[in-house]
Amino acid sequence: MIIGIPNGLLNIKYRDAIQEFLNTIGFTTVVSPKTNKEILDLGVLNCVDEACLPVKIFHGHVEYLRDRCDIVLVPRIMKLNKNEFICPKFCGLPEMVKYSLDIKNIICPTITAYNEKTLRNSLYNFSKTFRVDKEKFKRAYKGFKSNIYKYNKTSISNPNLRVLLLGHPYLIYDDFINMNLAKKLHQNGVEVFTEDNIEPYDYTYRLIKKPFWTFLRSTYNCAISLVETGKIDGIIYISSFGCGIDSFSIDLIKKDIGSFPYLVLKIDEHTGEAGIDTRIEAFIDLLKRRSKNEYNISSLG
Amino acid sequence: MNITFPHLGNTYIAAKVLFDALDVEYTIPPISTKKTLEIGCLHSPDDICLPFKIMIGNYIESIEKGADTVLITGSCGPCRFGEYCELQKKVLMSLGRQINFIVIDEPSKIGIKEFLNRLSSVAKDSRLSIYKKIKALNMALKAINLIDEIEKECRFFAGYEKNKGEFSKLLKDVKREAIESKGAEGTLKVLENYKDKVDRIEIDNFKTPIKIGIIGEIYTIIDSLSNLYIEDILMNLGVSTKRTLYPSWWVKNTALSALKINRSPIYKEAKHYLGMCIGGHAQECVGEAMLNYKMRFDGLIQIFPVGCMPEIVSKAILPDIEKRYNIPILSLVVDEMTGEAGYYTRIEAFLDLIEGRKRMCI
Repeated sequence: MIIGIPNGLLNIKYRDAIQEFLNTIGFTTVVSPKTNKEILDLGVLNCVDEACLPVKIFHGHVEYLRDRCDIVLVPRIMKLNKNEFICPKFCGLPEMVKYSLDIKNIICPTITAYNEKTLRNSLYNFSKTFRVDKEKFKRAYKGFKSNIYKYNKTSISNPNLRVLLLGHPYLIYDDFINMNLAKKLHQNGVEVFTEDNIEPYDYTYRLIKKPFWTFLRSTYNCAISLVETGKIDGIIYISSFGCGIDSFSIDLIKKDIGSFPYLVLKIDEHTGEAGIDTRIEAFIDLLKRRSKNEYNISSLG
Repeated sequence: MNITFPHLGNTYIAAKVLFDALDVEYTIPPISTKKTLEIGCLHSPDDICLPFKIMIGNYIESIEKGADTVLITGSCGPCRFGEYCELQKKVLMSLGRQINFIVIDEPSKIGIKEFLNRLSSVAKDSRLSIYKKIKALNMALKAINLIDEIEKECRFFAGYEKNKGEFSKLLKDVKREAIESKGAEGTLKVLENYKDKVDRIEIDNFKTPIKIGIIGEIYTIIDSLSNLYIEDILMNLGVSTKRTLYPSWWVKNTALSALKINRSPIYKEAKHYLGMCIGGHAQECVGEAMLNYKMRFDGLIQIFPVGCMPEIVSKAILPDIEKRYNIPILSLVVDEMTGEAGYYTRIEAFLDLIEGRKRMCI
């Protein structure tokens, strides 16, 4: 049996691990290619209009895989931390895919992974549907653990300007959606931090209520701990239009960092690349001027 | 301490009863209007959903009237509503308004002790005994049940009335008189009076009006400003409407769910499509659609604010129900920029379609 793995949403992060897991069990896997225009069009055509861009693209990936494999894997990721959720759309993703695309051959394991035990349990329940024996599962699980992708630390020769690139992993690591943002920043001589290569402190005590979204907690902690320690010169927040979680985290961060340089890039399927380029260049110019001039007072008042 | 709260349908009548009975100072925010929405939009982030904006407008208008404490309910589910208190407090603080928030969260998440603490802080200024405080809460519950019951009957039987406009006039009268009457007992008496009056309005049992179920996100279908008074419009057109998601339903549902004895048929019906709670009221929306189909309704209208995460999931599911069970469903997405003319045209076209279907006996 051939299992298709859509290359969108959090699968971008866990793709290799899932592939290794399924291969060890004894299935052939096929991964959809990196997001491209064709997949984007397929997604926009079939998905609910109000959904955000990453979800639409995920629909495109599933539609692409539909006739290229026997069954498509659409995981329902519920929790990655205890008492925290990802996003309602992630919990309802299998239903959205099933009824929007009118597709029958999908398998949707429920993944709850806030510690070793729950992750193991969810994967075991998933493998039980294929009648896998325990010995095989153990080997597959080992493969899954050792293949979780580790992002290499960026090192650049000219660390004059350091920028924190915030956003959900599926926006930061999908070069088609973010239009090679990280690459463009590198070309302009800017060192880029992302969530994966820093170790943030916990600053959520500043909030009245403990946040219940994993993404909100991690982005908030990253931004505040780097701003407080003075490791960065500016923040670029990349967000998809209509994202419910970002609508909070953008403003919570903005209200906490005061006049720190902060650029928010909203992305949807109509975003033009030229506009994004201009804004990034203007932002970098601003950062350069700030580092030269100590008096950061605008002459326009 | 002067307590205020955001508007949600008829809850202001229940809140009046509660605070009158507790003998606590309170401010009812002025009824939400276009101006409220404008104030709210000015101070809220762009991307946030519509209820947030209207609530901010409510707060600011009642702060101007002297309120200094906001009472809202919270949730710890994956929907955005749970984070409202956080950002709303920051927004109000950045405007230079010092204001306290009392957030009534689910007891299972914050602990029963903290929950009771927060509840008792509402009635901190009241000098009544604990027995009387519980009695006041009971009166408020009774009030919300009564007013919702009245509204429900008025909306449904509006299609069957003999003299046009009687139900809509009664509904306007009861709300006005309830809020103008003195004291908690006075309001309850008015409500009980009108409950009898509703039963005495003549109805014509041989009429076959169009029956429409209203489903969707709880705030936008209850709050008439955000859905551009859809229920009043349908009422005036002689259409019977029904919705289950009233504030009284919410109170009952939350209490039963907390005790894990909720046996509402909604969840049973929704199970085939959406087996688990994904936050907000997506599951209820799907379950309601199925229930309304089984009750032989002619059509369904789903309303939700732009970017509502759970309702996007249910919107993806509804076309399948539409196709499989042959029931027309209209999805209306509202935000602060919804144009009235386009909105009403769509509703009228939808009603024409249903009328045509009825004539052809589909």
